Amino acid sequence: MRSSSLLAGFLTAALLPAVSLAHDPAHPAPRVEIEGPADAYVYELAAPGSYNLPRIKPAAGARLLDETGKALDLSQLFGGRLTVLAFMYTRCGDACPLAALRLADLQQLAAEDAAAARQVQILSLSFDPDHDTPAVMAEYGELMRHPDIVAPRWLFLTAPGQEALEPLLAAYDQPVARKADPDGPGGPLNHLLRVFLIDAEGFVRNIYSADFLDPRLLMNDLRTLQMETP
Amino acid sequence: MASALALAASVVLAPSPAFADETCQSPYMAKITGEEEYVYVWTLGVEGVGDGSDKVVTVDARSGSPTFGQVIDVDSVGGRHEAHHGGLTDDRKHFWVSGLDSSRIFIFDIAADPANPKLVKTIDDFVEKSGGVVGPHGAYALPGRMLISGLSNSDKTGRTGMVEYTNDGEYVATHWMPTAEEPQGAANADKADGYGYDARVLPRRNVMLTSSFTGWNNYMRPLGEVVNDPQAMKAFGNTMVLWDFHARKPRQVFEVPGVPLEVRWAWGPNNNYAFTSTALTSEIWLVYEDENQEWHAKSIGTIGDPAQLPLPVDISLSSDDSTLFVDSFMDGMTRVYDVTDPHSPKLIHEKKIGSQVNMVSQSWDGERLYYTSSLLANWDKTGADNEQFLKAYTWDGKTLSPRFEIDFLAEDLGRPHLMRFGSAELYN
Repeated sequence: MRSSSLLAGFLTAALLPAVSLAHDPAHPAPRVEIEGPADAYVYELAAPGSYNLPRIKPAAGARLLDETGKALDLSQLFGGRLTVLAFMYTRCGDACPLAALRLADLQQLAAEDAAAARQVQILSLSFDPDHDTPAVMAEYGELMRHPDIVAPRWLFLTAPGQEALEPLLAAYDQPVARKADPDGPGGPLNHLLRVFLIDAEGFVRNIYSADFLDPRLLMNDLRTLQMETP
Repeated sequence: MASALALAASVVLAPSPAFADETCQSPYMAKITGEEEYVYVWTLGVEGVGDGSDKVVTVDARSGSPTFGQVIDVDSVGGRHEAHHGGLTDDRKHFWVSGLDSSRIFIFDIAADPANPKLVKTIDDFVEKSGGVVGPHGAYALPGRMLISGLSNSDKTGRTGMVEYTNDGEYVATHWMPTAEEPQGAANADKADGYGYDARVLPRRNVMLTSSFTGWNNYMRPLGEVVNDPQAMKAFGNTMVLWDFHARKPRQVFEVPGVPLEVRWAWGPNNNYAFTSTALTSEIWLVYEDENQEWHAKSIGTIGDPAQLPLPVDISLSSDDSTLFVDSFMDGMTRVYDVTDPHSPKLIHEKKIGSQVNMVSQSWDGERLYYTSSLLANWDKTGADNEQFLKAYTWDGKTLSPRFEIDFLAEDLGRPHLMRFGSAELYN
């Protein structure tokens, strides 16, 4: 099956011990169970609204392509929504697959909260446009997205080319570099995992590394931003 | 042959002993796993020595290089700012260094040419933007941001805070240390003194640990005057604070008498503890989480003879959490402890590095150590005892063997302080 082989390519053996995926026969998309490192998220979290998320910087826009190949402006997606934006590439064998699974779990969590589900969106944005065409992103999205229509939307975006990508990566301070050996383990690109929380006015409010990509923590941050809204 | 850990690898979730620090770096940062190629030394300027300015000195640490063990680049920032500490951004592209006196922060690009850092930005409104924090000290990498721990405030006393910036040097937020008057919800806050020094995060437990030193009035004053002034001696930190890192809120105040300075978290996935040393009481302390997920701080041993005031300063924990190097300024000693049992350190080696010694930086494989001599411009020894050096050693698990050394006065450089490692392979 095409999607299974694609998934196998996405998730390398090195990372699988930390993650388990199980297909639910009733749904085409995988049911995500987070184990391993996620189990380390056992610390108590501060209650939503009990802490501040200062504005870090404006979230830059860029001309991108959606899963159908239609052009869109990234900044147009931010207005009125609370956004979790993750830079990634589908050939990644390091952190991107794990991050995608955490985001899938976040989508499930948010689906249980009607208010959150309406306002929250997840954006996965590839920095490998040569490989990650709209069709590839659509396929990846089909694998990862929760099928429940009440779940917050999760868009899989790519850039029309490297020229459009470079200023975007610079604006988000997203390091990406080509490996000397593109066939080496983990995929052809070096990068730091960065996931951004963006408020409804288009400001970055938090930046997550893999260590803090805890779906519960993300939900608390999203609820904290919701509580700011009049 | 130098090698560096790829950027991507540094984001692997599960903490591993293999991801040990090179001298206790932020866990968010890409790590050099092979042999470091360059040592960047943030150096205090000395009037009459070279250009007299604070500077970043780049030393070639590549074995086999024709310039091995030599200074290959010098970048003055102009003027003397009381160069002290600094740190690298999480992507390791920039080296932030700061001045305790001028409160300026200098940002160097070390990625474009790791052998030739370039000053690309100066932050000169730190005090204004932060709301009155003075004396930027540590620069600690967070995802996409830097956390600057302060030492003082506009009144030049010791109450201070931590200040967040974006990686490109834009101010984000200020987090003041708790005090008895403003406890911010912390337990045991009646003991909170508001001082600051180091700030380090243990991500998997969502905790940050801070330590405490003293304010501008003391750290810019000659040491001899300070120690002979009973009032001044009361103005030193005696606490550490455990924070909810995600919320940036203090959780618990620990009484750690005698100026707890450097914080070093263990790296083992089940090692939920940190070490510190106390400068005035000459003790090693352990801050640890028990089986009930409650945190404690306790003294676990003395360093040298506390009655002789050896003044412990920098410490460095090995990658496997087994070995702790502890420097003490006054006697110029480094002492090496087996901390396999963190509750019971055992002295396994000691060596006099020089007439005075402060910082120690350790390669991630634990085989190479670098020492520098300067503490503060007005606290360094004088006369013949004012040795100013970078000394490099190899460590075989039992003894330190000299590798190279550089006389920073003979080279017209100044007082060497903080060190950070670089490698061109980080950016390939």
